[in-house]
Amino acid sequence: MKSSLIQAIQLILSGNAELMNILKVTARMSLTSSLCALLIGVPIGIWLGSRRFWGRDALVVINRTLMGTPPVVCGLLFYLLFSGVGPFRHLKLLFTVKIMILAQVALITPIVVGNMETYTASVAPGVMETAKGMGFPRWKTFLLLGNECVYPIFSAYLLAFSRAIAEVGAVSMVGGAIAWKTNVMTTAIMQYTNQGNFSLGIALGLILMTASLIVNTVLTLLQKRLSQ
Amino acid sequence: MKIAAFTKTYGKKMVLRFPACELPQGRIVAVIGANGSGKSTLAKVLSGIEPSDQRVRPLMGVSLGYLPQKSYGFHMSLRANLLLNGGDKALAARRMDALKIRDLEKARADRLSGGETARMALARLLMRPYDLVILDEPTAAMDRESTLLAEQLVKDYVRETGCTMLLVTHSLQQARRMAQEVLFLYNGTLVERGPIAQVLHRPEREETRQFLEFYGFAPEA
Repeated sequence: MKSSLIQAIQLILSGNAELMNILKVTARMSLTSSLCALLIGVPIGIWLGSRRFWGRDALVVINRTLMGTPPVVCGLLFYLLFSGVGPFRHLKLLFTVKIMILAQVALITPIVVGNMETYTASVAPGVMETAKGMGFPRWKTFLLLGNECVYPIFSAYLLAFSRAIAEVGAVSMVGGAIAWKTNVMTTAIMQYTNQGNFSLGIALGLILMTASLIVNTVLTLLQKRLSQ
Repeated sequence: MKIAAFTKTYGKKMVLRFPACELPQGRIVAVIGANGSGKSTLAKVLSGIEPSDQRVRPLMGVSLGYLPQKSYGFHMSLRANLLLNGGDKALAARRMDALKIRDLEKARADRLSGGETARMALARLLMRPYDLVILDEPTAAMDRESTLLAEQLVKDYVRETGCTMLLVTHSLQQARRMAQEVLFLYNGTLVERGPIAQVLHRPEREETRQFLEFYGFAPEA
């Protein structure tokens, strides 16, 4: 265990080419998918949290169900859609980073929507009543509501990124964990552990935890600074 | 200023039946009544926050300002909150001075105390002229000094702009200090209306008399 840890640190410090490639793919996949989920989920969450319409409760329940989607189920769905028998086979996306991003977006967007919906529903009545009371037009009210939701956007992003970087089920199914192509940190940890290559597994685990710690720290500091 | 007759129902219960009436220009009209008499519902329907059963706004073609019972401070400075409703910085300074909140102008509005938020919300609403302003218990969270300052500001605003002010209040003393006319609501119905001195001292209806007696106002025999 101790020698594996030392080897892991040596691998990180030496800039091992395979390790660097895994990091690059992981960063591309998790940053892109979490940003896409944020861009899609934030407006939907604000809209869902601030409006009262027929069928809204049903949409909220559906979203909450989607928040708990098992990653392997999501992976299976995307696999079937894009595999040789699926309707999107002509796109030839299976076992590429692009489909991994798509699967991740499908998995984490409901989390962003749910987070934003819950927060918006708590502030929207006050914001909308006040804005309407002053005779503000709808666009100004929506902008104000967006401004009130700046801080939860950070929390939503943190949640989305954490889920994206740590996810293994869906990405291994649709990405195939192909070395030098679609292997990300989580799938690689599984692979190397199965192969008995603990040092590379530990190195990846350390990097994964450190990356998560850095992103969380930066965003928390930024959130704190903005709130002052 | 003409108000069309309307009703408001929540679920199966009709909570307000309001007749067509006219509000005098440039006057403060107090709306009084016990809890659950329909005062806040009246304010919400007139301001368009809640739709009436008829789905038509009882007031058409008037610019309207409404201060809800629960004040909300947007996530920005107190001064920025005021400037949201009109960019006149000198007026914002006057409003802050009038309510003694100038020293809080850079403070975050969402971190103010209840009384400070209420003062900020009143100052923010009165940054712009409206034809009709509806205040729903604007001083409920304020202490005595702030209440008197707020009342003075409201009176000055009405004098400056010539607007009609509908003041929902549960304080008969406040109604007497501020208003020229009064609407008395009882169980969701407008049961009495008239000049303040007449309604408070010589009510025509038994419901009004009982309400006044309960609050320690002894109408003339």
